[in-house]
Amino acid sequence: MTLLLAGCDGPLSTLAPAGPAAGDIALLWWGMLIGSAAITLLVGVLLALSFGPPRVRPVRYWTHGWGLGFSLAVLTTVLVAGLWIGERILPRDDGAVEVRAHAYQWGWRFAQPNAEGETVQTDGVLYIPAGRPVDVIVTAEDVIHAFWVPQLAGKVDAIPGRRNLLRIEADRPGTHDGLCAEFCGLGHATMRFELVAYGVDAPPDALADAPAAEEYADD
Amino acid sequence: MTDAYIGTATGTRATTDEIKSDAPQRALGLHRELDRTWANDPGWRGQISAVNHTTLGLRFMGTALVFFAIGGILAMLIRTQLATPEGAFLDTEIYNQIFTMHGSIMMFLFAIPMLEGLAIYMLPKILGTRDLAFPRLTALGYWCYLFGGLILLFALLGGVAPREGWFMYTPLSGATYSPGINADVWLLGVTFVEISALAAAVEITVTILRQRAPGMKLTEMPLFAWYMLGTSVMMLVGFPPLILASVLLEIERAFGWPFFEVARGGDPLLWQHLFWLFGHPEVYIIFLPAAGALSTIIPVMCRTTILGYGAIVAAIVALVFLSFGLWVHHMFTVGIPHMALAFFSAASVLVAVPTAVQVFAWIGTMWKGRPDMHLPMYHIMGFFLTFVMGGLTGVMLAIVPFNWQAHDTHFVVAHLHYVLIGGFVFPMMAAAAYWMPQITGRARIKGLGEAAFWTILIGFHGTFFLMHLTGLLGMPRRIDVYPDNPEWIWLNLTSSIFGFVMTIGFALFALDLVLQAWLGPRSPRDPWRAPGLDWAMRLPPPSYNFASLPGPGRLDGGAQAAQGLARGEGLLPGAPRGRREVLVTGVGSARPELIAILPGNTALPLGLACAIGAFVLMMLSGLYWLTLPALALVAALIWVWARGMAQGHDAAPVEVAPGLSLPVHIHRHDTLGRTGTVCLLLADGTLFAALLFGVGFLSVVAPGWPPPELTGDPKLGAGLIAGLVGGLGLGAIAVRLGLRAQGNGGAVLPAAAVAFIANLAALACLIWLAVAVLDDPTRHARDALRGVLAGYAGLHALIAAGMAGYALDQARRGEIAGTRAGCMPAWRLWQDFAAVTALIAGAILIAQGSGA
Amino acid sequence: MSFLARSLAGPMIWAVTFSVVYALHGAGCALGWDGVSAGPVSLHRAALVGSWILGLIAGLALLLRLPASGGLHAGLPRAGAWTGLVATLFTLFPVLVTSSCDTARALAVNFFIPV
Repeated sequence: MTLLLAGCDGPLSTLAPAGPAAGDIALLWWGMLIGSAAITLLVGVLLALSFGPPRVRPVRYWTHGWGLGFSLAVLTTVLVAGLWIGERILPRDDGAVEVRAHAYQWGWRFAQPNAEGETVQTDGVLYIPAGRPVDVIVTAEDVIHAFWVPQLAGKVDAIPGRRNLLRIEADRPGTHDGLCAEFCGLGHATMRFELVAYGVDAPPDALADAPAAEEYADD
Repeated sequence: MTDAYIGTATGTRATTDEIKSDAPQRALGLHRELDRTWANDPGWRGQISAVNHTTLGLRFMGTALVFFAIGGILAMLIRTQLATPEGAFLDTEIYNQIFTMHGSIMMFLFAIPMLEGLAIYMLPKILGTRDLAFPRLTALGYWCYLFGGLILLFALLGGVAPREGWFMYTPLSGATYSPGINADVWLLGVTFVEISALAAAVEITVTILRQRAPGMKLTEMPLFAWYMLGTSVMMLVGFPPLILASVLLEIERAFGWPFFEVARGGDPLLWQHLFWLFGHPEVYIIFLPAAGALSTIIPVMCRTTILGYGAIVAAIVALVFLSFGLWVHHMFTVGIPHMALAFFSAASVLVAVPTAVQVFAWIGTMWKGRPDMHLPMYHIMGFFLTFVMGGLTGVMLAIVPFNWQAHDTHFVVAHLHYVLIGGFVFPMMAAAAYWMPQITGRARIKGLGEAAFWTILIGFHGTFFLMHLTGLLGMPRRIDVYPDNPEWIWLNLTSSIFGFVMTIGFALFALDLVLQAWLGPRSPRDPWRAPGLDWAMRLPPPSYNFASLPGPGRLDGGAQAAQGLARGEGLLPGAPRGRREVLVTGVGSARPELIAILPGNTALPLGLACAIGAFVLMMLSGLYWLTLPALALVAALIWVWARGMAQGHDAAPVEVAPGLSLPVHIHRHDTLGRTGTVCLLLADGTLFAALLFGVGFLSVVAPGWPPPELTGDPKLGAGLIAGLVGGLGLGAIAVRLGLRAQGNGGAVLPAAAVAFIANLAALACLIWLAVAVLDDPTRHARDALRGVLAGYAGLHALIAAGMAGYALDQARRGEIAGTRAGCMPAWRLWQDFAAVTALIAGAILIAQGSGA
Repeated sequence: MSFLARSLAGPMIWAVTFSVVYALHGAGCALGWDGVSAGPVSLHRAALVGSWILGLIAGLALLLRLPASGGLHAGLPRAGAWTGLVATLFTLFPVLVTSSCDTARALAVNFFIPV
């Protein structure tokens, strides 16, 4: 078991969550994995049993019982769980910290508040306070990119002309890897960034030294 | 379809119960007579003039297999690059071209043509007829497919292949970020290939609805036909949004009309909506024919009948509809509000229900019978294992929060290969093993097929099972290096090694097919003791399929039916008139209604495809003015095409069976051509609806609105639009007056002349509108859309004028006279459609003027 | 022909309801209907729920009009009607429970990064 979980580790692993959204989704995954394994096994057993002598079951046993009843029951359960978790991790109006991620070919420019509450700009590193919900406003300069920090939450696309919103939160101070998930041309593979979650009482020096954020062209 | 027809040359009518058998004749004599009429031309001429469905079906499938091999080689290049984290095997530019081409080839040049080829080859045999409804269209489709595919291949060899990923997202695929012809190759090449998809969809639909053997009711036809009917209708509705999107993007790239460019009122999300509005149904377009093969093969392998025929038909209907309500699940991360995502999430899980009904019906069939582990059954077991797992990961991806994590990672890559290889390739391999004796007349060489199966199965799961984990560990799609992620190395290396194992398996599979066709021992007539008309013939099948056509009492098929049919005991025996004759039946009743005479061998489809190809190449080269002569050539060849089947004298009714004679199609209005026109207009109407969606979407959702003021004179604009709609409407009235005059024994000529002039007047109004009222389409998306709406109406008015002119010519030649219908049924439908769509487009143009 | 038409009527009701509700949702979010009150709920939700219920009524009415038995000839229209009704219920119930335009808050909020 430990070995299995160790295999799931990694700086970009969705299975090594370090925030509430990623944690919820990882839980959902493990649940669905167990269910799927059971269903695969079940179909395998039903297939294996078919190789015996002919057995007559009413047509509806298969089409209505298994086909409609069983599948609808399973699917409804999964759907409701998914919607429940989906609602839980949405951004909401609760005064969360707002930061901005601006994607371009091929890199990331971030704007985030420093200790004094001024918005400062950084390149390639996003600083957020740990233990607090943060809403990332995601925008794009040129083509479509996607903002993704797998250990914290799902991804959202950066689309020219639009501002998308993603809620992330880091449980503890630490560093997490992020990347561009939507194919964006020649530099796609290397369009990485770093996310630093800092303790609220210990804001990093880099933030204090960073220049004030400039306005972006599409504002 | 209506039973309305004009005139007296209608023959006698009979219900299906009253049809009698013909007297037996010498089978060899019949064969010679039929083969003279139906066979391809000898030698190399036969290669370019063939229109026969057996020839073209095999050609489609063979070409698709070649493209599968090419796509597979590209996949191996990808796996080689990814085997190590800093692979220097390919540079990024080439790598991007290769994965784009791998996806595009497998989707557009392998899967779709493969299923078309299977349907083209099989359907007439399964339905009990001699050919598809429009043989020349089959050939045109093949050449368009081949030429479009070759354009893509030559681009790859020349290093200018598309490199934006197979779904070509804008703005990356727009002129700013993709200069050069790479993206144009995709847009034009794939659209060229899609002509073949639409052509095949029209013919398959018409053939299933109108050419089933007499007595084969819709509710009793073989399941394969139901599956193909669902597929073809989905193709008619699913492909037009992609064609529209490709045309719009090509116009944006070539002429600067903005549709997807944010700064001028476009929206990249419009591309995504239109692309996936096609792209998701596409998955089911690929799956349904494969499921049709499974529903055919499983009962035969289990020596029983299919369980739950009605439930399966209902599941097909449900799948056809539901699959059009899922497209947004490819767009869960674009920032759509949670409620809208929830609709599509729910629809995406719901679509698993009809799929589950089929899977359990197949398992129930196996329980009911005694499964024999012949080679097809191996592949069917491979299908069950792979497809069930792919379906389950599909349900996972339909769940919004999980999708937010897994989207665009290798988890999705694994999922889609499980679904496509599980849901299409394994069933197709089962189908190959099952039907190869039918196709070649030879039995297979034992052992090799099993070895191929096991190699492919192990190779496939070795490649893709662990890839789910690769994705969950965060590896995105479409990257070529991963130097900072050592945790992905062993996963990728494993996938690469097993990828090569799978390739060896496919090579063995191909070798098995070749050896069977070349060296296999002769197969008995119906080696599986299968029912079905596809086995009720000599093997390999003769050019005409059936010496006499099956009717009531002979629909069970199999080897027993074969002898009677070959001796001419069925309907419409032989080819005594030296014409390619098929029976046309009613949609619901399956009652014989008329005789259709099909065209013979001709190189015209090749010529038309070359003309279209010239247009595509001129567009690609940027020689836009030279596209006009190419288009004129296309129009001229279409005219010649139509002239090829015109007839200026009456045709005597044909004796189909003792006491039953039927009219020839030129005397009827409910012809195959009319049903085909209805299908074409369904696709055309979907294209128009997609365009209206685009107008609504950009007006409401796009950033960069409101647009600048319109500068044209609104009163003049409204007047010209009224002239356009009025002219087309007058044309529609004139068609009716012409039909009435013909019914009363009068002449059609005056009405056709009026309609011709009215259509030209409509066209003149439109040109005036474009010149004097419409704003520069490059200014803003609103103006570009106005240009497209006007262009759509103009194209339809132009074609309506062409059809009126053709009718005028036919009336002059006496081809529309007496009870001879000529082009009237098709023209009437087109004229009405053109008038209605122009009315809607015109109303929008006027509303945009008053709204702003 | 009418057999095919009757068989497709149920799924058609779903297709129309689904399209209408999705279009109203998009239009409502863009036009700010979720900020307009219509009694206890927003105008947006009222419009969505209302269209959904109309679709359900149409599906139910179709189901009740069809004959109960008679082989596949009656069975396929009936299965189609069930498909339409269940699909309408299943795919659109989120109008009751999910939040309607939240992500669009990013579009509405006037976020400004000072120079």
